[in-house]
Amino acid sequence: MADTPHLRTQALAPEEPRADGQPGDRELVERAQKGDGAAFAQLVERHQRQLYRLALRMTGSEADAQEVLQEAFLNAYQKLPLFRGEAQFSSWLYRIAANSALMRLRRKRRAPDGLTDQPLELSGPRFSAEGYLEPTSSSDWSQRADEKMMSGELGSAINKAVEQLPDDYRTVFLLKDVDGLSNEDIAEALDLTVPAVKSRLHRARLALREKLGEFFDVPAK
Amino acid sequence: MTSPIEHCKECVDLLGEYIEGTLTGEQAKALEEHLSTCPPCITFVRTYRATRRLCRSALAAEMPHELMSSLSSFLGKHVPGFPCSKPDTTTVVTEATADIGPKKA
Repeated sequence: MADTPHLRTQALAPEEPRADGQPGDRELVERAQKGDGAAFAQLVERHQRQLYRLALRMTGSEADAQEVLQEAFLNAYQKLPLFRGEAQFSSWLYRIAANSALMRLRRKRRAPDGLTDQPLELSGPRFSAEGYLEPTSSSDWSQRADEKMMSGELGSAINKAVEQLPDDYRTVFLLKDVDGLSNEDIAEALDLTVPAVKSRLHRARLALREKLGEFFDVPAK
Repeated sequence: MTSPIEHCKECVDLLGEYIEGTLTGEQAKALEEHLSTCPPCITFVRTYRATRRLCRSALAAEMPHELMSSLSSFLGKHVPGFPCSKPDTTTVVTEATADIGPKKA
């Protein structure tokens, strides 16, 4: 299955100790695999906030995010016997949650009353035929950003712009720029190559930058 | 030997890796040389960086306590040995007292 890592038996490097003295994910996974529900609960407690953020921004709805989380953690529990630890547990979990969110979005789009269409082409900066930036792509709004952020309008504009990204780009962007995963972990979680992660991330940022530029270029009312 | 970056498009194409510090030394040097002579690209770098910063700040979301409790209750029903959800006492007490009201001696 797409969201189940391949099994391999190989010696794993010792797990790094955690700064808070708590058992690492690998130890908790091993205990959960032996039927320790409390160990699984610790894994849930440790990862639920990051997964919630991803699910909320992927689906755009708190109710959907809740269902994604339930489905993802239950799915993870049921597949736990297959997890052998070659991947990081968090990447494995992100993959399950991202797939669950994507499947939910696709089901919604197929529904007769589905209103959310898959977004179209990503926008980006405009260049002259010689490869120089067009003036419209080089307005400097970076200094005005904090003041606008305080008004709340910018937050709404960002949420809308992120929702309009194609799903595959939005997932990479959220995992990297919001959750702070490494390119390697994202590649592992989404079954992509690292260059593909970098490319999607860059294009997503360029598209968001364009949207923010449009937002700042509209004169204040 | 990396050739000089003459056009903004090449600069923009390398920007993601530049701000992550994953360009080779020669590539980074070529890009910085272009930036030193190209104000539109300097602006572009500033707004590209601001995009990441603003999005991270705007999209950070706290998971509501009620949702943690309901997730925990849900998993408690499906995962053997999963500890029962601890009720969110703040919410429960508030709702309970809203309905019942303080008891007076």
